[in-house]
Amino acid sequence: MSARIIGPVVLGVVMLGLWEAAVRAAGIPPYILPGPILVAETLVADWSTLAPSLLVTIEITIEALLAAVVVGGLLAVLFSLSRWIELSLFPYAIILQVTPIVAIAPLIIVWANDVELSLLICAWLVAFFPILSNTILGLRSVDPNLLSLFELYGAGRWRTLIDLRLPSALPYFLGGLRISGGLALIGAVVAEFVAGTGGAASGLAYRILESGYQLKIPRMFAALALISATGIVIFLLLTLLSHLLLRHWHESALAPEG
Amino acid sequence: MALVGVRGVSKVFANGVQALANVSLDVEAGEFLSVLGPSGCGKSTLLRLIAGLIQPSSGTIDLAAGQAELGFVFQEPTLMPWATALANVALPLKLRGLARGERAARAAQVLANVGLKGFERTWPRELSGGMKMRVSIARALVTEPRLLLMDEPFAALDEITRHRLNADLLELWQRSKVTVVFVTHSVFESVFLSQRIAVMAARPGRVLSELSIATPYPRDASFRTSAEYAAYCRQASARLVEAMAA
Repeated sequence: MSARIIGPVVLGVVMLGLWEAAVRAAGIPPYILPGPILVAETLVADWSTLAPSLLVTIEITIEALLAAVVVGGLLAVLFSLSRWIELSLFPYAIILQVTPIVAIAPLIIVWANDVELSLLICAWLVAFFPILSNTILGLRSVDPNLLSLFELYGAGRWRTLIDLRLPSALPYFLGGLRISGGLALIGAVVAEFVAGTGGAASGLAYRILESGYQLKIPRMFAALALISATGIVIFLLLTLLSHLLLRHWHESALAPEG
Repeated sequence: MALVGVRGVSKVFANGVQALANVSLDVEAGEFLSVLGPSGCGKSTLLRLIAGLIQPSSGTIDLAAGQAELGFVFQEPTLMPWATALANVALPLKLRGLARGERAARAAQVLANVGLKGFERTWPRELSGGMKMRVSIARALVTEPRLLLMDEPFAALDEITRHRLNADLLELWQRSKVTVVFVTHSVFESVFLSQRIAVMAARPGRVLSELSIATPYPRDASFRTSAEYAAYCRQASARLVEAMAA
């Protein structure tokens, strides 16, 4: 096993141990700060409540990420084909990106009139921008000599897009996808919080709110741990995907020397 | 009849820089012509004009070979990093719409011709600088062009690799009877390779003089150490000094 795995694992175990020891030594009550063992026990005991909520959150996150890939990717290709479309639409993409999601989530929930759809829209809004801007950058970062070569051999716009621009943009797109994966989860959780304050929805964020009201702090921590774990798994999966697609040719996927 | 006729061509770029002024140059079918000059003299611009990648501001370029019969080799290998050596070589055939099986067979054949048999499935990053340039040359040759345009292709390579590629290029040229226009800033390279050298001056770019290298082919490594070679290099250097002073 490499230091890349041993290091973080040892540090994590030590920190959890210190946390448990501190909680016991100082006699901190569980409704202020539960120890990690109690959190783990709660996770198991309340699994029947937490698991459906986890599924709801994961479902919204994945759907939002897929929508972000489709819309962000298609918009990027459209922008690369027409300067006019890009100049007209890009400022609005930026406005969507810089508007805090908590501020517009209540509006979206009212307008969409469907909890799941509104959560999806919120998560998508947060997630699509990195994919859009990275893919645009990638579609433009084409070797100019390769472009000349395609022109020399009479390749049309479409051929050049498929065989040159899209492959050139792939590493940039995947970089954006990794950022968007985390953002889709954050967007889903934030939107659930907003929706949950109104009593609707049933994702993990809603469980956190609910546990807070009922002073079931260990369950709150258990839900929080599930959200973190989901984020880590999404990141690892997208990193793996990126590695599989780029391992033969891109510098970012090459094993370090020695 | 000349394969390429450059007649009174000038090129002024959008930023006002005059890259070429009244350049005239004929390229005969089957010949190996070098264009020698200091950097910034418009050598590359001349090559891109002949290829039709940019248009002249004035003057005309007659191309007996159509644009479809051109091959172009850039200063860098300019390979697609996401494609194997074979797929890179097959690219021009793919863009021309040939069937997969035929383009793979032809690309493999040309790879073997440039000394890369067995490297079909190799990724560009696994190849050395010299091998990447060989792939690039194979890609330019895969369409069996009548005219091969080369823009300082070996400038970034070490001397040992450059000498080998020079020798191999001459062999390919003799075998295929392709016409070569070879841009370089190396006096030694131009003398070793070509039948004729066009010497260019800068600011604005123009052809100042021409020099014929009468030494018959095949030219091997012993040519590099001959008195004849030294004499030609002296002549070409003197022309280059004139061009720099002009």
